[in-house]
Order: sequence, then C-alpha cells, then structure tokens
Amino acid sequence: MKDSVPLAPLQRLAWFNLIVFAIPVTLYAITVPLLAWYFHKSLAVAAMPSLGMFGICGLWGLGNHFLYDRKRRTRVNLDEREALIYQRANTIGMALFWGVFVLSCMGVWAYLSYVRHQATLPVGFLPLLVFAGMIVWQVTQSIAILVQYKRSASDDTL
Amino acid sequence: MTPSESAQLKNRIRKLRFEHGEMTQQELADRVGAARQTIIALEAGKYAPSLLLAFRLARVFGVTAEDVFQWDGD
Repeated sequence: MKDSVPLAPLQRLAWFNLIVFAIPVTLYAITVPLLAWYFHKSLAVAAMPSLGMFGICGLWGLGNHFLYDRKRRTRVNLDEREALIYQRANTIGMALFWGVFVLSCMGVWAYLSYVRHQATLPVGFLPLLVFAGMIVWQVTQSIAILVQYKRSASDDTL
Repeated sequence: MTPSESAQLKNRIRKLRFEHGEMTQQELADRVGAARQTIIALEAGKYAPSLLLAFRLARVFGVTAEDVFQWDGD
C-alpha cells in the first residue's frame, strides 16, 4: 500500500523560496501596466518603480524556519545525502549568481561606455545588479534542491 | 562516483527490511539516523551511501556491509 512521503525540510524551504519569488513576479506583472495606465506613462517608465515589488523577496529570511526543529529547539539534522544536495544546490546557485553578476556589471559598463559614452556607472545600478544576482542565486538553489530530490525519488513508498 | 558506477552498486536493503519483521522505511531511517527519502533513494539505487551509513545499515540488520551492498565493477 502506497503512502505519501512528507516533504523534507530542504524541499519545504525550496518551495517556500520559489513561492516567495513568484509573488513579486506576479505583482510586478500586474503593477507595471497598472501604474502606466494610472499615471499615463509608458510601460518602460512604469517598470522602474514597480521593481519595488521585489522587496517582498525579503521574506526569504523567514526560510530558516524550515531548517529549525521547534521540538528539539535546534537546527534540523540533515543526513549525508541531504547535506550533499544542499551543498550542490548552493554551488550551482553561487556559480550562476557570479556569472550573472559579472556579466551584468561588464555588460552595463560596456553599454554605457561604448554606446552612451558615459565614463561612470549610475550609483543606483549597483544594488540592482547585486539584488538581481541574489534572486538568481536563491531561485537556482531552490530549483536545484527540488530537481535533485525528484531525481532520487522512487515510485515505491512502502 | 559516476552514474555508471552507481548503477553497478546493488543492495539488498528492501529484502533485509522485510526479513527483519517487515521493518518500514521510516523505522530503518530512524535507526540509522537518515531521512526516509534517503532510504528510498538507496533502495532505488539512486544514491551511494558513505561508509559510515553503509556500516550502520549493516549493523541494524546484523550482517556485514558486503551482505547489504554488492558492487559488480572492475
């Protein structure tokens, strides 16, 4: 007789992170045309202030709740396989973060230097680039966790 | 361990579980200090355990590690 296997703490954390990311993406998609319509601006102009929706990603900090065992009042014990999954997911996330961050920095600098002939980068760009990189890291890490769990899952749950 | 090497590693964990009072995956997981999903992955041959986990599993069943795991490699 098959029974359902409860989600592991890492899986719950990964799903939480993805849901937290999906909320601002959805709100952003709604807010951009809404602001454009309300303030009679173009979509491109409305896009920048709408980025504020991604502040909701600050909720990722609450993800640590899933790695905390309230009964024993200590961090959840990850067994060797789960620790390996977590480590691999962090490695993949970090690799993509670094790639996106460096490419973004260089890409923006190249565009401003060669196309707009500006020698300096606007100050507001840097936190945006870092934050974009962090989003890539968290989302990639979460997907990597879920994919690794899925790959090692079996249909048999006896 | 490469995927092909993992595929050469077989185990009798499920059979040993059933031979030991039809132990459930959760019971085995609790006794060796692993997650149930890890036991599932082991039985499906999708995860190669560390030496420590292999020995723990063998001790639960009262057999040697080679009785639990078999490797057909070169």
